Amino acid sequence: MAIGLGIIIAVVVVLVALVFIGYFVGIYNAFVRLRNDIKKSWSNINVLLKQRHDELPKLIASVKGYMKHEKSTLAELTKARTAFMSAKTMDAKAAADNQITSALKTIFAVAENYPNLKANENFLQLQSRISGLENELADRREFYNESVNTYNIKRESFPDMIVAGWMKLQSKEMFKVSEEEQQDVKVEF
Amino acid sequence: MADDGAMKMFVYSFVGLGVGVYLFFKGFTWLREKRLIENTPTSKIRSLAMGRVEIFGKVVAEAKKKIKSPFSGADCVYCKWTIEEYRNQGKSSRWVVVKEGVETNHFNLQDNTGKVLVDPKDSQLDIPVDFESKKLTEPIKKYLDGEAIKYKSWLGFNKSLRFREYYLAPGDEVYIMGSAGDNPFVEDGSAQNNVDDIMIQKGKSDFYYISDKPETAVLKKFKWKVLGGFLGGGALIVVCLFYIFFFIGIL
Repeated sequence: MAIGLGIIIAVVVVLVALVFIGYFVGIYNAFVRLRNDIKKSWSNINVLLKQRHDELPKLIASVKGYMKHEKSTLAELTKARTAFMSAKTMDAKAAADNQITSALKTIFAVAENYPNLKANENFLQLQSRISGLENELADRREFYNESVNTYNIKRESFPDMIVAGWMKLQSKEMFKVSEEEQQDVKVEF
Repeated sequence: MADDGAMKMFVYSFVGLGVGVYLFFKGFTWLREKRLIENTPTSKIRSLAMGRVEIFGKVVAEAKKKIKSPFSGADCVYCKWTIEEYRNQGKSSRWVVVKEGVETNHFNLQDNTGKVLVDPKDSQLDIPVDFESKKLTEPIKKYLDGEAIKYKSWLGFNKSLRFREYYLAPGDEVYIMGSAGDNPFVEDGSAQNNVDDIMIQKGKSDFYYISDKPETAVLKKFKWKVLGGFLGGGALIVVCLFYIFFFIGIL
């Protein structure tokens, strides 16, 4: 009688221990996956930033002839592009990206004042391509922020915080939109 | 006779023990899948990147890629059907599957930003019954004749048959957790938009899940599966061990 009951109690203890260990191993693996997902979603933003960056010289070349009175806007875009090229850290790239986005918004808004430019096929194609990339970038920034938010919430929730503390995980920063970009572009006619 | 019954229960206890162990360990897989769904943000289709993705949208099918379901004749992109017969086995009676089939085709999933091609092959499809009938309608008779399935007994009476269809139809809202990979139908570099060169498919990760429920409902289902696996599987193991030990006399 005692042997059978002893085995059953041992089995119950083993099962409970397995669930307990499996649960915490799962939390550890989830953190590893989340950390890599955040890195990957940042790389996915970078791919689009690079694609947009490659389109900028073509855009500047196509509008330069028409926008003779908008030299400062074009200079701003060139400066932002250079800043992006020399940016090494994620924060620096994010800041340069915000500058480029802001400069592009101004260029596309100001282009309304130049009917010849608006009729230029090459410009229209570039505008459409860059606007498409901007939309994709906005989605991927949102995706990145959602990944970071999930990670930060898990890091601070119980019992995940025990594993996060043991893994020495730090909270991560979201991709912030600059003050400039949040404001509407002013166009003077 | 009583010994026969006890012996049967002894054998069933071993089967139950096996099922319990399977359910218990399956609980870990379901827990992992639940966490994967919880921790993966939903992507917008126009900005999909290669690799594991979670998307939600409406099924869109090209006219030539639609399938007709065999019993109800509904237009769909995926259809699984079963024919069951009510059979008496000793004192009990139950529905037994006599024939089943699956037909599937590629379809597009569309959200408010774009659409992407989906290959549902090798996915875990979580779809409820969309059509059920016990009546021998004309399309059903036609199908049975085509498949040479007899629906009359030797006395000339109709057999007790049940026909079920599970399908994904155009317009259905679908949740997908899968892998965004290369679209083999588009030549590399020829796509107008990046997403045109992507097809959702079973990737390296073994989890490819398609459901016509929203993410919250999918998560709720997984929560019950995890609890059922750990608690149900664990309880079954303990109960079966009790009976086995009782039978062999060490309890």
